[in-house]
Amino acid sequence: MYLAPEGEELEIAAAAADFIADALPIERLHQGAGPDMGAELRASLGEMGWFALALPEGDGGSGLSAVEHALFFREVGRQCGPLDILVQALACLSTYDGGLRAALIAGEQGAALLVPDGMGHRLIGAADARYGLAVMHQGAALHDLAVAKIEPRPALDPANSLAIVNDPGPVIDSIEGAYIWQLGQVGVAAMLLGLAEAALDAIVEYAKVRETFGKPIGAWQAVRHACADMAVSNEGARAQLWYAATALKEGRGDAQAHLDAAKHLANEAALFATDATIQLHGGIGVTDEHNAHLLMKHAALLARLFGGRNELLASLLHAELED
Amino acid sequence: MDLRFSDEDLDFRARARDWLAANVPGTPRPAGGHAASQFDRDWQKKLYEHGWAGVAWPKDFGGMGLSGLQQVIWYEELSRAHAPAAHISTTYVAQMHAGPTIIARGTEEQKAYHLPRILSGEALWCQGFSEPNAGSDLAALRTSGRVEGDHIVVNGAKMWTTDAMHADWMELLIRTDPASQRHKGLTWLAFDMKTPGIDIKPIRTMLLDEHVNMVFFDEVRVPLSAVVGQLHGGWSTAMATLSFERGLGFIADQLELFEKVGRAVRLAGEMRGPDGLPLIEDVEVARKLAAIKAETMAIRAMTLADIAETDRTGMPGPKGSMMKLKVTATHKALTRLVSDILGWQFFEFDGNRDNNPWTHDFLWSWVFSIAGGSSEIQREITADRVLELPRSR
Ligand SMILES: Cc1cc2nc3c(=O)[nH]c(=O)nc-3n(C[C@H](O)[C@H](O)[C@H](O)COP(=O)(O)OP(=O)(O)OC[C@H]3O[C@@H](n4cnc5c(N)ncnc54)[C@H](O)[C@@H]3O)c2cc1C
Repeated sequence: MYLAPEGEELEIAAAAADFIADALPIERLHQGAGPDMGAELRASLGEMGWFALALPEGDGGSGLSAVEHALFFREVGRQCGPLDILVQALACLSTYDGGLRAALIAGEQGAALLVPDGMGHRLIGAADARYGLAVMHQGAALHDLAVAKIEPRPALDPANSLAIVNDPGPVIDSIEGAYIWQLGQVGVAAMLLGLAEAALDAIVEYAKVRETFGKPIGAWQAVRHACADMAVSNEGARAQLWYAATALKEGRGDAQAHLDAAKHLANEAALFATDATIQLHGGIGVTDEHNAHLLMKHAALLARLFGGRNELLASLLHAELED
Repeated sequence: MDLRFSDEDLDFRARARDWLAANVPGTPRPAGGHAASQFDRDWQKKLYEHGWAGVAWPKDFGGMGLSGLQQVIWYEELSRAHAPAAHISTTYVAQMHAGPTIIARGTEEQKAYHLPRILSGEALWCQGFSEPNAGSDLAALRTSGRVEGDHIVVNGAKMWTTDAMHADWMELLIRTDPASQRHKGLTWLAFDMKTPGIDIKPIRTMLLDEHVNMVFFDEVRVPLSAVVGQLHGGWSTAMATLSFERGLGFIADQLELFEKVGRAVRLAGEMRGPDGLPLIEDVEVARKLAAIKAETMAIRAMTLADIAETDRTGMPGPKGSMMKLKVTATHKALTRLVSDILGWQFFEFDGNRDNNPWTHDFLWSWVFSIAGGSSEIQREITADRVLELPRSR
């Protein structure tokens, strides 16, 4: 029993943190970088094998688990990394076609997420994607978007493209079982955790230097106590995510319940921390040049994916748990 | 990361479960008074005699010498077996922080004398830290001790002393250097409650009970051999006590909360709303319950993470304050929600926990978020020690 990164997990987390901070620092969004990964970054992530962490070695992956997957996507979240990094990783797991899988692992072809919306779909991420991935509780389907009519929409969240697709085109491959959905939950929850941690770190640093009435704002209790509350909700979300990812890795019977709780707590932690960080930064917090709104907008989007509040709570209520 | 319990852990859990199934008292703990403390002593004695006392205490001091994780398993099994709970017992202070303080700071004679008595239930302890004008601000305490030869003569008053009337010993924190201020010049005494010159006056709380007390000291003579740690160096001993209280003191509550949610879900399945339908079918009730369940899952994960870390490093980290904030807030949310689920039953209350545990726990939720360091103080500690923000004081 041990519930924190250790040994090689720490090395992977550190390597991920370095790579992501260098390849897609959150500052990119202030320097004219567009949404999504873009072809170039996709290729370099592919080259490093980051899309295939949780893919079996026999399929060209690293053969690691949901735990390393979580550690990687937490770093992606910290830098407000685009969703299509996760979608690409899930797409690699969603095909039996070795050639297609290799192209996805290498980042030669992109994948974006298809989410049902009324009679049609929303497409999130990778405006240039060749494939659309639809993930359900009990399976995933890969659509070929080559002939689909994609209607781009202006996106609130600058990290991801947003479009409407009424007919996402033919399904070229599909896979059954809960695993893709579950790894999606781990990935999005980890990104939300990273966002929540980044939001707290930002205000803690600012609270040490910004002074009002002759004191740093971090000495005012209204600020200190709100930060403490953020720390508590982040801590709970982190502990539950580690628990859930490990439960998935170990194939425990209650893994789904722990994942639902982890996603719910990550939603709440990220929505709370990104709200509070804007408020506690004062006026600078609502400016475009600041990171706070980037974190908030990204969190708002991710909180809807792979289980929003009502859906998660409905499935959690009667779920049985093991020791 | 690893969720698997070791073979020893699993074996320990199985043995604990079997033993508890055969040995849990058939009668409930009496609601209060001498009968309750006698019940607690008897249960503790039984644990001691069967080798279940002091699960994580070192073997040298009569404990079982097991890990913190096995201590968690023990509390889980106690809760599951509806055994007398460690956190609603007059043995609480002795087990959770007086004993550990003596292990950490006591002399060999003090250890040899006190520890077996604590483990066997012979000695009950209370905590005499707070005073009428020193609660959150403990260093403002004024109860004084005058050193006269080989004795200290104590004068003053302690307040909020839980179970003082049952206790045999008190963790007594006083100011022994009259010229001192704040954290300096304090002394921590293992105080014998039979010493002449003390007067105990109960304080009735909104729970309609009389567990907390004022304790007055009038020229009370205590031998210098009762000093735990250094004379005038009591702040350091007191901080050790508080670190045990904050680090371990709430584990049983944390784990019990997890069970309580299950009970609340079953209750919501039985109770009906004005439309005649079970309340669990009310989407607002269902969502609130599920959200609280998620919090208790996180609390259990935090507990396991923290204990596993402490087992490796040997040091409780600064996270106890965050834990207490989360547990007390979740407890408050749960008892408030159940007050709605219970309907008019909620309003039937005679002060006996057994007759209406939910209303009792609803009232107790404020004690939980004030005693042992209020939530505001826990936020201060988190801001200072975890986030390292500039000091407010
Ligand atoms: C039922 C019960 C049992 C208890 N049992 C014991 C016991 O056995 N032994 C023992 O020694 N003590 C015991 N206590 C005392 C308990 O530790 C104190 O009540 C607690 O620490 C708060 O102190 P206080 O009551 O003096 O409130 P105060 O310190 O006067 O605080 C009043 C309010 O101000 C807030 N506040 C105070 N300082 C700050 C600050 N710096 N920043 C922000 N807010 C602040 C507090 O949070 C609180 O809301 C018990 C208390 C209760 C209610």
